[in-house]
Amino acid sequence: MKIFNPWHIAVGAFILLCSSCVRDTDFEQAEAIALMPVVELNLIYFNLEASSFYDTISATPVLTIRDTTEIDFLDDSTLQESLKRAEFYFKFTNSIPREFQVDFQFLSEMDDTTYVAQTRVASGATANPVITEFVEDVNEDGIIRLTQANKVVVSVTIPSSNENLEGELNLQSKTTYYPEY
Amino acid sequence: MRIFFLFFFALGATVSFSQNKQLLYGFDEIPQSLLLNPGAKVSQKGHIGIPFLSQIHLNVGTSGVTVFDIFGESNVDINTRIRNKIFEMKDSDFFTATQQLDILNFGWKSKKDYYFSGGVYQEFDFISYFPRDLAILAWEGNRDYIGYEFDLGQVSTTGDVLTVYHFGANKQVGKKLAVGARAKLYSSIASFRSVDNRGTFVTPLGDGDVNIYEHTLTNVNVQVETSGIADLDEGSIASKTVGRALLGGNLGLGLDLGATYDISESFTASASILDLGMVFHTKNVEAYRATGDYTLDGIELIFPPFADSQGTLPYYDDLEDEIEREIPIDTLTGRYTQLRPVKLNASLRYNFGNRVGRGGPCDCRNGGAAEITEQAVGIHLFGMDRPKRMQTAATVYYYRRLWDFLSAKATYTIDPYSSSNVGLGISSRFGKFNFYVAADNLLHYGNLAKANNVSLQLGFNIIFDEE
Repeated sequence: MKIFNPWHIAVGAFILLCSSCVRDTDFEQAEAIALMPVVELNLIYFNLEASSFYDTISATPVLTIRDTTEIDFLDDSTLQESLKRAEFYFKFTNSIPREFQVDFQFLSEMDDTTYVAQTRVASGATANPVITEFVEDVNEDGIIRLTQANKVVVSVTIPSSNENLEGELNLQSKTTYYPEY
Repeated sequence: MRIFFLFFFALGATVSFSQNKQLLYGFDEIPQSLLLNPGAKVSQKGHIGIPFLSQIHLNVGTSGVTVFDIFGESNVDINTRIRNKIFEMKDSDFFTATQQLDILNFGWKSKKDYYFSGGVYQEFDFISYFPRDLAILAWEGNRDYIGYEFDLGQVSTTGDVLTVYHFGANKQVGKKLAVGARAKLYSSIASFRSVDNRGTFVTPLGDGDVNIYEHTLTNVNVQVETSGIADLDEGSIASKTVGRALLGGNLGLGLDLGATYDISESFTASASILDLGMVFHTKNVEAYRATGDYTLDGIELIFPPFADSQGTLPYYDDLEDEIEREIPIDTLTGRYTQLRPVKLNASLRYNFGNRVGRGGPCDCRNGGAAEITEQAVGIHLFGMDRPKRMQTAATVYYYRRLWDFLSAKATYTIDPYSSSNVGLGISSRFGKFNFYVAADNLLHYGNLAKANNVSLQLGFNIIFDEE
């Protein structure tokens, strides 16, 4: 009766287990998996009084003011490899009766200029602030240059100023990042 | 990032209930059934498991997705399939893997009819619930989810590697009742857990006064506790692992209890509770906890008048400092106690068919104990404590003793995630030599990629019968 022994059964069971398989699948598709999140992050903001453009001590106009901030994550190697596109959105609200030129100069750690953007802000009025929106879409070569930067210099230039100038120039901004992992 | 998704989706065949051994439970010919119910009926005089081969148990899987769902041949782009699954799955879905290896297993019947059994086994157990909101955030980003509160509390995961030293006693009390208990000494090799987290991340539109958005973390309390991991990069991992396996790790105590009761000559009920215990993590403990609230507005430029000549303000560093101050990540080294995941088993069995080992139609001196018959059917309920909720499963089974040397058990298991789990286990004897194997989800064996649950147990023993 004992035509089987446990070894036969063990071997048979292993054959059965080994006969199982994974079919109708294509694991090479893993190469095509791409995470492409779209991430929106606040960038910089400021609120400049008209008086910022006039030096009351020396009684002279200050036609260009600038400030710099580091953006350390921008030249991170992971972001350099993954970022495919970035879109800057700047929203100016101007109640100063002057046009402005605003320059964004992106600098590398060695202070080399890697990317620049520039816009004009429409003149406003104290009782009637004017909104100017500016979008800078950065692709391909621009992204390579942009991700070499780790700081941005913001320069605000007014054509003329005096001690009686009133109003505010307000900036709100965000960046939309399009990485691909 | 891509690795994160590959981990979750490529890993999985699936184990809905990775520690449910419905095929082994109540399969009394297999000595390892005593590990599932220390109060099982014991018919042998003694047993010795073949070292390292007396029980090998493997189980991996997920509850809400199969390999085929992601990697099946299809005209639909794989990224679309992944995205669909992310949205289809719930934060109660989970990924789990369990592995057990019996290093030593033995038992003998004493002169006073106690059946003592003991041994050592190594166990790896991992579970991670699907952090759905974070998966959406990682896959989609936040642009299309302005105002949506991403729940950080969905992060819930534990992982343990430990060695278990156990010794149990089983006793037939009268004709109808068998009871048993097993004491366990745990030696944790490595452990991590991140449970009971909370907090939200939301990006609402700003109120117009500051910036476009208000990226806000609210009520954050996220913690990761580890033991046996922080020093793994120092010295030999192998010697550390062996040392901890040999009672050099963080120790714990546990208890298994079980009983089997013959309700009548045909019906038998049994139940067990396993791993009622805890591990005390006191050595090589490291925990990280982030708490607080924070709103990121961006970087405010103030155009200081000295900017041209003296450089500018360290806005970015200040921002980093502010975030670290508001959401500090503390490193804790205090001890912590971890409850072992308790498992519950309960079964009702109906015995029928020819009686085994007794030729006559009735054993009138049986005293109401259940007959040992060639066939039985029954139901088995399983429950296991997991970080978010008890996991449960229900099984109906058919047992058949085919020949003296071969018994088989077929099971059909349902749980909240799968209703097509058919399993088969066999136990064979050749003289004193016993081999058993049990496997789940046979309906998917032709293509494991479509399985939601794959488990396998097998082992070799030497069994000494009553004379």
